[in-house]
Amino acid sequence: MTERPSWTRFFRVWVGLGLQSFGGGTATLYLIQRAVVDQQRWMSAEEFAHNWAMVQLAPGINLLAITILIGWKIAGAPGIVAALGGLLLPSIAITILVSATYASVSALPIVEAALQGVIPATVGLGLFLSYRLLMPTLSVSRREGRVSVAVSLALVVGAMGATFWLKWPVLLTLLLGGVLGGIYQWGSALRLSEASDT
Amino acid sequence: MTPIDPITLFWLFLKASLFSTGGTGNLPLLYQDLLTRGWATDQMFAEALAIGQLTPGPTGLWVISLGYLVYGVVGSVLAAVAITLPPLLVLAISVAHQHIGGHPFVRGMIRGLSLAVIGVFLIVLSRLMPGPIPDWRAVAIALIVFLLALTQRIPVVVLLAMAAIAGIVLFR
Repeated sequence: MTERPSWTRFFRVWVGLGLQSFGGGTATLYLIQRAVVDQQRWMSAEEFAHNWAMVQLAPGINLLAITILIGWKIAGAPGIVAALGGLLLPSIAITILVSATYASVSALPIVEAALQGVIPATVGLGLFLSYRLLMPTLSVSRREGRVSVAVSLALVVGAMGATFWLKWPVLLTLLLGGVLGGIYQWGSALRLSEASDT
Repeated sequence: MTPIDPITLFWLFLKASLFSTGGTGNLPLLYQDLLTRGWATDQMFAEALAIGQLTPGPTGLWVISLGYLVYGVVGSVLAAVAITLPPLLVLAISVAHQHIGGHPFVRGMIRGLSLAVIGVFLIVLSRLMPGPIPDWRAVAIALIVFLLALTQRIPVVVLLAMAAIAGIVLFR
């Protein structure tokens, strides 16, 4: 839509995004959207939303996938390198520094006690994250009816059981969850089309 | 415990990222693979997750901290490369999606996968809690942080700082 921005500006925008994004996730996505759509006008809001939908299908970290896709759309392969490098290099350097400092102070009793508080806190944040991931999927299921909600919950509980009691390898559990979800949705789509044929 | 071999370590990081989505979707697989080899401890996972929350960048960068704790700077570089490669598949997907994305099996599969990830994730979370018998102080901190996070009013850094202070008061 607009012409390609200069490389220094393009790189600087991504470095800024990488350094501002504390706590990750939704906040970072919002920052990227604001920068790319509102401030720099590199793409329209619709285009951004479409790209974000594509990203849901990609493996790995969503925020890296959207960065790759935007970099590609705006400036091709060098765009990917500049966007990813800008977003990641400063953050990676800081993460390594903090980890290294941490290793040298972790033996202090006060740090150990603080950590005994921080570890359960990350578990609490993990619970919140699970909730945030579960809710959109469940609300889609709710629109489809009770059976779909039951199937969704069964997949979550089934994966918990497979891990906790059956001690299945994680990959097997995940693949089976994907295949069962695919079969269920395909089956219900076929039933729907048969119902509308008769 | 076998000594850490960097190529296998890289492959484990890559595999976990390849078969998961989101910043922490790779946690269950990494947890399984690194713990069974004796290359990482529960403690390292918990610490890496905490450091990942404290530092800037996507949440997924916790893996870089884990890489450092497991195998030093080389470990963190291996982890960084491993998490960058799988998202590149988004380029192929954006092309393929125009052909198969609407198929109900594909949509259902993605949904089933994300639900199974949540199930496994919940079990892994419960294992990060200290001890065989849950400590009431730890359970209380986890629940309070969960409830405060639900309000979405308090920045994560503040929540973690409060938890650290609670730890110093309760556990010393």
